[in-house]
Amino acid sequence: MATKRLKFNKALCIGCQLCAQVCSAYKEGEYIPSKARLAIETYYEDGSLKYKDDFCILCGMCMKACPFDAIDMDKGWIHVDPEKCKGCGLCAKKCPKKVVRIRDKMAYICDTCEGDPNCVKTCPHNALTFE
Amino acid sequence: MKVTVALRGTLKKLFDGPLEKVVEIPEGSTCNDALLAAGIDYKELKNFGFVSVNNLRVMIDSEVKDGDYIKAFSRVMGG
Amino acid sequence: MKAKILEEKYTAQAADPNQTIMSAYQNRVLRIYLDKQEAVVEPLRMDFAEKYVGSKGLVIRYMYEDMKPGIDPLGPDNNLYFTTGPMSGTPIPCSGKLSVAAKSPATGTMNDCSVGGHCGIRLKFAGYDMAVFHGQMDKPTYVVIEDDEITFHDASHLWGLTSHEAERELIKEYGTEYSCLSIGPAGENLNYISCINCDYYRQAGRGGIGAVMGSKKLKAILIKGTQGVKVPNIKEVTDRIVEITRTVCVCEDTDYVFDEGTYAFLEACNDGGILPAHNFSAATDIKWDTYNGAVMKKYRLGKRGCGSCALGCGNFMQVGDAIVEGPEYETTAASGPQCDIASIEHNVRFNMVVDDMGMDSISTGMTIAWAMEMAEKGIHDFGVHFGNEEEMIQMVKDMAYRRGAGAELADGVKVASEKWGGTDFAMHSKGLEFPQYEPRGSFAMANSYAVSDRGACHMRSYTPNEEVFAASVPPYTYEDKGIVLYNLGESNAIKFSCCLCDLFGTVDYPLMAELLTMITGREWTVEEMAEVGRRVLNIGRAFNQREGFTREHDIVPQRMFKDKLKGGPADGQVLTEEGFQDILDQYYEIMGWDENGCLPQELLDTL
Repeated sequence: MATKRLKFNKALCIGCQLCAQVCSAYKEGEYIPSKARLAIETYYEDGSLKYKDDFCILCGMCMKACPFDAIDMDKGWIHVDPEKCKGCGLCAKKCPKKVVRIRDKMAYICDTCEGDPNCVKTCPHNALTFE
Repeated sequence: MKVTVALRGTLKKLFDGPLEKVVEIPEGSTCNDALLAAGIDYKELKNFGFVSVNNLRVMIDSEVKDGDYIKAFSRVMGG
Repeated sequence: MKAKILEEKYTAQAADPNQTIMSAYQNRVLRIYLDKQEAVVEPLRMDFAEKYVGSKGLVIRYMYEDMKPGIDPLGPDNNLYFTTGPMSGTPIPCSGKLSVAAKSPATGTMNDCSVGGHCGIRLKFAGYDMAVFHGQMDKPTYVVIEDDEITFHDASHLWGLTSHEAERELIKEYGTEYSCLSIGPAGENLNYISCINCDYYRQAGRGGIGAVMGSKKLKAILIKGTQGVKVPNIKEVTDRIVEITRTVCVCEDTDYVFDEGTYAFLEACNDGGILPAHNFSAATDIKWDTYNGAVMKKYRLGKRGCGSCALGCGNFMQVGDAIVEGPEYETTAASGPQCDIASIEHNVRFNMVVDDMGMDSISTGMTIAWAMEMAEKGIHDFGVHFGNEEEMIQMVKDMAYRRGAGAELADGVKVASEKWGGTDFAMHSKGLEFPQYEPRGSFAMANSYAVSDRGACHMRSYTPNEEVFAASVPPYTYEDKGIVLYNLGESNAIKFSCCLCDLFGTVDYPLMAELLTMITGREWTVEEMAEVGRRVLNIGRAFNQREGFTREHDIVPQRMFKDKLKGGPADGQVLTEEGFQDILDQYYEIMGWDENGCLPQELLDTL
């Protein structure tokens, strides 16, 4: 069975940022989108509507970059072993979607809520899907 | 006489596809009669708003004439 | 230059040990003293929050407390308040609005505007329930609020730029994690018609709020927040909020918001007989389908909503070289049928210019429509005429810069008609121009405009909901309309005090009580929702009463009584003075006010 991934359809995105608020609720215990494991927003620039879509696409670059073998994708999502992670930030540097958060010598990476992503459940127009 | 009943807003699904229907009703019928002939009982619908005939709002019990175009609107909550 | 935080007058405990500290609030009010370039943080008045919840209600109570009656709205004593609610910064759908309030230069009453965009949630995430700007500066300045860092910056390179030009400069420098609130030339020139823009295309629009910011020489405010909002049992609460979003908020009844936005009101208002035309002489426009939602979709490039919005009403459009997120129903009617113009390109261009100049589209459209009628009647020619699009666009800019005839119109129809005549058809109440709903098609709407806390406003008691958009309620009567006026006013008052957007739809008191209880950890009852709504109506009236407003100011222009409406289902309708006064009597009695429309002392004491 193919691994499910987050997918983003910008035509349906209204830039509400409910995804980040809900992510941070489950992961950080407060509504603090600056610490969410994804960052999706829309903004106006030079007369056009633009989209920023930083979310984990399960490319595995972080896993390949980690010098301490702290990251695995055995279950179909990114898992960081807190015992092995030193917070060196190499994964963050390599991540093409800029979703790795380094804080207090630890890497925080989206784990798709272990295969049942809350951001997808909340997205009001199904711009974010898991398929 | 024949009149058209057209749907607006969230009532659009009531005809399972088409947005309007032509119905045959007796002379002297009201908008309500026309809606009932089209299968709509406005009192049963929580989101029923109002009706217009030929682009003019009328009360539900106003009489209609042959060829009238009746629009049924869902409740509009505006500001 | 970094603000000197004088002292953090903040303690974790409120002064009264019996006072509940509710969750979801930040319990922090930021007061910025512009003249001294200092900032202070103080605890939120939780006692006010328990009585008024947040946003609209909370800020009026603060204004009543902070500001003495009789101050000059363009002077140093008029504070500018940015207020969130407890729901702000939570994923409760449509909770992202921000109240922007001050005493209004246009009306002399209190003024509470509601702006969308992302500034509301960002102010909450910066750690504040409210930010208040006190005093004035001599030099153009912009202020940056980034969590607890408040800095003041020279804005002389931005002063004189349009609002969009200024925002472009600032966001290029600071990045899109900041929300930008800015004024354009209209606010800089202290025009009564001036707004504050947020994130380009959302406005705190009415009552000259832009002039208040301009009088402080405050060109822009940038807000970034990386803090959080805490609620008890966050996982269970969030599960329930997500459920509400997917079942109650985003549902059939609100489909139209993502589909068309406020364009969806055009057909209903047209058929309902309340779409105004020709400066409120006529109603309905047979050409409405040349500029309606179906046409709009051909030019739409994208959709956008505000922070925490689940619906997404914003339509980003381009017609020719006119680009804007908009226009809304109000702007479409005010620049369309009101001026005898039927062109979506004109509506979009008008919206773009009005936003850029930093002006309220409703008041601008209505003032220009009045000026068109003045020319039509041969009383005075300001250079705008019914049907002429270019003159209208040019006049918007002339008003912003107070150039030529624009200087006569920049402060709205009340000021202009007192000087030039034509007061019968200068469509305003208390100096705030009528929104786009014709009262002769919905009789109690006239009273709604007359008693609204900030002058003629539709975001108060929106009576067409009952009088027009209902199968069997007669619109052209006066009996039992006071209670209609009251119920709608009460429900909007509590809704906007939670900080919910109008488009959330029918306000369900049990739902609001449940949401407030879940996030604040305090038991809110259904009865309290009604009590808060009522109290908010009263505190707004109390503020105005202290400024000297009474029944004699609860009026609408003579056109409503003298001129029969032309066209539509309300063709031939006109209001009677007796009927209008009758609804006022009904309403005053329901509110517990005396026959002069004033709150008696016992009622004032309860606030």
